[in-house]
Amino acid sequence: MINENDPSTLTTSGRLVNYNDAIKSGLETGLKFTQLMDQLIKTNDADKLVAAATELANFTLDSDFVTFPHQYSNADYYLLFMSRMLELHDQGKNVILQSRDHREELTQQLTPLGDRGTFNFRVESSENGGVFYRERATGQSLFYLNLERKMFRFNSHALTQLFIIDLHDTVPAETVKTSVKILLDFARYLKEDYGYSVDFNILDAANRQNYAVRSADLPAGVVDRLFVTAAKNDYMLTNGVNGNGAEIQLDKGVVLDIFNNQLEGQPEWVMTVHDDDQKVSWFDVLLKYPFMRDWYLEDLTDLEIASDPLIFA
Amino acid sequence: MDNQEQQASAADVLTQAIASKLDYLSTLQAAVQHSDDRQVYELLDQVRYYEEVKKTRSTRSVNHLAELVDNIHPQIAHYLSDKLIDYLGHIYPFFYYEEYTTGLFHIYFGNWWDRRLFGDLDVINVRFDFDKTEYQKLRDSFALESQNQRLNTAKIESISAESEQLQSLVDAQATRDNQKSELRDQLKENSGKSSLPWDSGKLKDERQRIIDQLTKLADEDEKALNAHKLIKANDDKILVLSKEDTILNYEKQSIRDSFDDFEHFEAHNASLYADYLNSLLGKSEGEVTVDD
Repeated sequence: MINENDPSTLTTSGRLVNYNDAIKSGLETGLKFTQLMDQLIKTNDADKLVAAATELANFTLDSDFVTFPHQYSNADYYLLFMSRMLELHDQGKNVILQSRDHREELTQQLTPLGDRGTFNFRVESSENGGVFYRERATGQSLFYLNLERKMFRFNSHALTQLFIIDLHDTVPAETVKTSVKILLDFARYLKEDYGYSVDFNILDAANRQNYAVRSADLPAGVVDRLFVTAAKNDYMLTNGVNGNGAEIQLDKGVVLDIFNNQLEGQPEWVMTVHDDDQKVSWFDVLLKYPFMRDWYLEDLTDLEIASDPLIFA
Repeated sequence: MDNQEQQASAADVLTQAIASKLDYLSTLQAAVQHSDDRQVYELLDQVRYYEEVKKTRSTRSVNHLAELVDNIHPQIAHYLSDKLIDYLGHIYPFFYYEEYTTGLFHIYFGNWWDRRLFGDLDVINVRFDFDKTEYQKLRDSFALESQNQRLNTAKIESISAESEQLQSLVDAQATRDNQKSELRDQLKENSGKSSLPWDSGKLKDERQRIIDQLTKLADEDEKALNAHKLIKANDDKILVLSKEDTILNYEKQSIRDSFDDFEHFEAHNASLYADYLNSLLGKSEGEVTVDD
């Protein structure tokens, strides 16, 4: 009896046909790959770009019968995708893609930041999938991206560690701002053009954004400390409008509120940053006001803005 | 007088007494209806009104009629508070009032974080009943200003000094560890020395001296171990004191903005009743002029 799945039952020519088919399919996979690469590298159509990146993100190039010795990692396609996406929005010059000699591996720099940061993507190995955008020297994962699930999540902890702490003394605030804006814009394109679910976290300048702090039940001393330090810097912390928190009027109509968002049940302390143009985020406040930065960092254990707990455990 | 006559005269007297009460109440009612707060105040305390506003002695004998409305003081205060708080808002822009129950008002000083509950507003008597402790802190704080000090400056300095001392104990741990090992070596040496009779007293003294030093160092070690906890507790104490200083500073600034100094503030408080009623008098006279 001939069983197609059992080579031992096949005739010699049958085996050759099977072998040949397997190679063909392996080569087709290779061809498909080159098409997707063409699309990723050359297309000027943002939709096709996203489609190519999404397919490449999980593409398996090797098969049992055909393997390719020189391969970039899936993470590199994400870098390529990010660069191209920015390029299609006339921001191609804001990132620099670097490939290493003799090795198929890409890294990226943010143009304003130069060699103060080198970035790549790290593939998440759990079944969640997706990738983390990571600064290589510090290992800080600034955001998480998942093309299949159309998810984008900024990480408040990494943004604070890298930009508010590590680079604070050596990189001017304005440079940090323009560098972070590149990441912000990338996320914005994904949200606005492709309906991605994006958590901008501490970069979110929308007035409605509630930044939840890590310690849901904030110790009273934390707000007291802000009151005292603000007064020393000629800002007055007043009672919040809603009566269960505090408010501070900064410059140019920027108002920061810190309050318990739950009047009943479990407390949930949050911060908001209001400005008429909705252009100022908590991150911007940290960059602009040294006393706010000092206050935030001193009680970071309690105050750190929470990131998506399912992604950044 | 026979019984009947006596009866009649008693009835007259009572009728008269009731009439004067009715008269009092209907005058008060009319004053409220005409929003004549000045007259309401006059009716509530005629003696004070004549003394402080008219600057004359009341021609009338004390009639206790005002006692008639004692048990509706909350409603009267609630009614009178409207205009009074409006008036106070102009003169004391830094006081905030909360009617915590009908006719009873808490005074809050300022709108800053954790502003203080500063006392009560007595609407019927047009008077601030300041919380004695809080008021004294403000007074002291003004007095200390001439010495360029805040209320808690001295306390904060002494706590900070204690923390610094604790910190230096922690910092000196390595030095102490060296000293201890030296002393232990000395101790070994001491016990190894032959105890010739004429040396034994000296050796014993030396041994005791070494042990005393080791004990002292061990005490310091123990203090250093608890230092972080104490420093943290001190930080918390300093925060509470700095916060109070910050609040007092805002209060002083508010008073200076409105009254130049504490003495003027107190003088204003003392004449509040007369000032307020005169302002109402001015208004009602003004109305009369317009009517004419």
